[in-house]
Amino acid sequence: MVEEKEKKNGGRWVGASLPRKEEDRLLRGRGKFADDIKLREMTYLRFVRSSYAHARIISVDTSAAEALPGVVCTITGKEIAAQTHPFIEIAPDHIQKVRDYPMAVEKVRYQGEPVAAVVAESASLADDAAELVQVEYEPLEPAINAEEALLDKSILHEEAGTNRVWSGTWEFGDVEKAFRDAAYVVTIDHMHFHRFSSTPLENNVVIGQWEPKEDRIHYWCNNSFPSFAIQFLAAHLAVHFDRIRVQTADIGGSFGIKITSYPQMSVCALASKKAGGRPVKWVETRSEHMVSSAHGNERTFRDTRVALDKNGVITAIASRHIDDCGAYPRYEPLGCVIYSQVFCGTYRFKNARIEFTQTVTNKCPVGPNRGYSRMQHLWFLERVVDICAYEIGIPADEMRLRNYIRPEEFPYTTPNGCVYDSGNYPKMLEVAKKLIGWDDWKKKQAEARQQGRWIGIGIGTTLDSGTNNFGQSQIINPYAPFSGNSQGANCKLDVYGEVVVAVGSCPQGQGHETVSAQVVADVLNISPDLITVRTGFDTERNVHTGFSGTYASQFAVSGLSAVHGAAQKLKAEMKRLAAFVLQTTQDDLEFGVGEQGPEIKARSTGKSINYWSLANIVNVNSAVLSEELQDVTLNCRYIWRAPFKVPDREKKYGNLTLTYSSQLHIAVVEVDRDTFIPRILDYVAVDDCGVAINPAIVEGQVYGATAHGIGAALMETCAYDAVGNMLTSTFSDYTPITAMNIPKIKYGYISTPSPHTYSGAKGMGEGGAAPIHTISAALQDALFAEGVFINDSFNNGDSIFRSLQQREGGQLSNLVRMEKR
Amino acid sequence: MLGQLGENAKFLAGGQSLIPLLKLRFANPEHLVDLNFIAGTSFIKQEAGALHFGAMSRHAEIEHSALARKISVLHDCAAGIADVQVRNRGTIGGSLAEADPSGDWASALITLDTAVHCLGRNGGRTIHLSDFIKDAYTTALAHDELVTEVEVKIPPKGSGGAYLAFKRSAPVYPSASVAVQLTMAGDVCQDAAIALGCVGLTAIRATNAETALRGQILNDKTISAAAEEARAAADPQPDMRGSAEYKRQLVVALLKRAIQIAVRRARGEQVEGAHLYA
Repeated sequence: MVEEKEKKNGGRWVGASLPRKEEDRLLRGRGKFADDIKLREMTYLRFVRSSYAHARIISVDTSAAEALPGVVCTITGKEIAAQTHPFIEIAPDHIQKVRDYPMAVEKVRYQGEPVAAVVAESASLADDAAELVQVEYEPLEPAINAEEALLDKSILHEEAGTNRVWSGTWEFGDVEKAFRDAAYVVTIDHMHFHRFSSTPLENNVVIGQWEPKEDRIHYWCNNSFPSFAIQFLAAHLAVHFDRIRVQTADIGGSFGIKITSYPQMSVCALASKKAGGRPVKWVETRSEHMVSSAHGNERTFRDTRVALDKNGVITAIASRHIDDCGAYPRYEPLGCVIYSQVFCGTYRFKNARIEFTQTVTNKCPVGPNRGYSRMQHLWFLERVVDICAYEIGIPADEMRLRNYIRPEEFPYTTPNGCVYDSGNYPKMLEVAKKLIGWDDWKKKQAEARQQGRWIGIGIGTTLDSGTNNFGQSQIINPYAPFSGNSQGANCKLDVYGEVVVAVGSCPQGQGHETVSAQVVADVLNISPDLITVRTGFDTERNVHTGFSGTYASQFAVSGLSAVHGAAQKLKAEMKRLAAFVLQTTQDDLEFGVGEQGPEIKARSTGKSINYWSLANIVNVNSAVLSEELQDVTLNCRYIWRAPFKVPDREKKYGNLTLTYSSQLHIAVVEVDRDTFIPRILDYVAVDDCGVAINPAIVEGQVYGATAHGIGAALMETCAYDAVGNMLTSTFSDYTPITAMNIPKIKYGYISTPSPHTYSGAKGMGEGGAAPIHTISAALQDALFAEGVFINDSFNNGDSIFRSLQQREGGQLSNLVRMEKR
Repeated sequence: MLGQLGENAKFLAGGQSLIPLLKLRFANPEHLVDLNFIAGTSFIKQEAGALHFGAMSRHAEIEHSALARKISVLHDCAAGIADVQVRNRGTIGGSLAEADPSGDWASALITLDTAVHCLGRNGGRTIHLSDFIKDAYTTALAHDELVTEVEVKIPPKGSGGAYLAFKRSAPVYPSASVAVQLTMAGDVCQDAAIALGCVGLTAIRATNAETALRGQILNDKTISAAAEEARAAADPQPDMRGSAEYKRQLVVALLKRAIQIAVRRARGEQVEGAHLYA
């Protein structure tokens, strides 16, 4: 039972650090996940995957597998192509010709791509049978490196004619003039943001059943954006939207990766059809997840030029960005525009030209991963800021203060028309410096340098933009039929007066049940304990919109706005009903909890009616209802729509996201002189997500995002060799961060309420990958004096050792140049 | 029993090597002979100047054994193997019999006077550890023979040792490891045994590094000279755990640190040796 005393935020439940309603279930191992679902006559699917990165398929022989007792059927890419349409591609023009199927048909384009699938009576039989499928390949030249792939020496999708997926230029202000007027021009030849994965604990799971009699498809799965998956699947399978039912259960993490499981969903449905309508379950193994789910975008930054005035204020940035999306564009190239949600980061520069190109390569397709497409760009900007500061001789903190958007400038319109709702970056810096003990560390750093130790202090400022304007997809493809954003929720008094909320999200531990109950509890002035919240997607619950799911740091905004709207709608109906029953005016009514549970009371008479009685009148005692109350259902669906316009496609100008949470981290890192292993000595994470609906949940998400970022910065990289063999297909090789590698994190927060949301809350959760920027900054600070340029987002003892070795050859310093005018 | 089942049968001890191989379908034996729950195969005792470990002694049992602390290298090694889950299951006998080039036990024990007691159909035999490990994943064991006991002589007073490894994260094999056992007389090193792990097909005895220390006063110069010999002795393969050059550098860094710890322990100081993590 939650206590009234938790209501600290002006007597409201919103703002209270309530324990999660889901906690008991999830922490005691009583959650229900997709793999826990067992159906009668279930069969099990195992994929046969390509051992080559790029090869023509000569033949696929499934006969030995089919002959194995217990095998129900097999299915190949060719069979699928014969009965489906290729998946929709979001990219325009030549990419529209790409024939993208859920399994390879003519060619394999990355190691681990499914070529065939085996369906058997048990999972282990399916494993055995998959080994009996014989595939003959003719190897082709692989294109592994993005910049080499753009030379089109070996083309992945011949029908497209080129590996280039999309390119476009963002240009604002007067870039040339800014460079003419600059006091300093800094040039950085090459930087690289590495490929990694957010590795959710639970892998992808799909159970698909093509119900033969009804000719409809029923999925149980852990896809985290089912509305989107259904849109892709319906066109591909030529099945009406409302004949595809998707249900999700508890989900053990997604971080965006599970948005793109629709190819496997297709295979399970088609395999089920072939198996006579028996349900087909596919549970991804960890190795499959590592080679073939959705890695994060890898990006190269070329020919960066930065103009600065005599005070070190950045006046212009020009750069070429090359994004590597792996073998299939699919959800991409949305990353090509999503980066521009944070086009200028936390900085004030007005003039900029970014030439953005995306290419396919013979590697695992990429997809949204926590910090999707913005973290790459924010890392780039933070590197630019630190390198310019060092070259000009301005301390990193001072450099930021000179360049940050100022608190009084919010809401701030960026050069490309995005509206930053609120923020106070100098204040965050102040809080973070205080928490870490900035001056002390500066002193210790200077002393340590005297002793020959390499200690660096780094700042990372980053943004977590939430609640997308899907209209930005039209900047990529003017024919894309998406714009705005919406979320649905339903709030009702059940037949017996229970308050039940349903939302269109499919949470992965973010506490949607709890925060939804907090919002509704404030509307009805009752305890969150009295509210039942149904999360997990179910098409037939009918609360979703085309954008429903759980992704992109938005539930506090889109999800809770919908919940709030539905609760308000219900409250209005309850008021009308109560005024009629209690023979009074609506103004006279008071919501609260009485002796008979939650109730509405007439102040004037002291008479009250409880929720059960209200619901009873509508549902089972309706003869007493007056004529004008016939429309009351006490079952209220509300669709919240974000106030967006379609951006200007030509100018690439417009507001792309509704809220901007900000994060400022500081790290103190020491590089060991013998082992070169970087060790975090101190770490601070300061967060601003406006009004926190549940501060404890926010803090938990900050720790999670910080751990993810530290792992990515120091331990985790998806590595391929020169011919496209993936070298990190197990956790032994990939080494995801564990508790042993996470330092103590000092947490702080400030709150600048968003003017764009009813509650002042901002979406949060992704965290902008602040640790990657921060650790790069700290390493750079430690090693500037050694002439080492940190030009990669991934750094470990090995890479730092090699950088120092190479430096002796005098290579690295040539990559950064400063020209003083 | 294994003899009856033939070539397609395998012993299952702690399973920390075999189970992952089965999971990844790299090994596909028809029969597993489970060695768990056989009475009298798990023990730690001291007899005649040596510590005796039953083959089925778990790493965690050795980690928490007061007896095993008598030989620092043993405690360092046991406490640093993988993570708690692996240490609770994995066994010293199983690890040696697997002879994984990245296994911790062989490189730690080879610096000590270690005998491996084996039992087969034709009775028992005792093999010195240096003759036991033949090659990567290859030991002197016959197919139907197994390890019953590992016997480690307690080093003399005035001898100190240390085992250090660098691991990118807790559960994974080290990128490189180093074991040192030094016998000191004052500041002079009378005898030295140095082994390098994960940087060759088997644990490597760095004999030139040992020579560089023997009879020397240990200071930065002599320690560095030995470390450079170890760098040369290492023969690592590049992989996700590190480039070959970096693994050699790790050998140097780990050896310097291990020598310093071993020297202090030889003097009778209590020093906790901790493995390095990323």
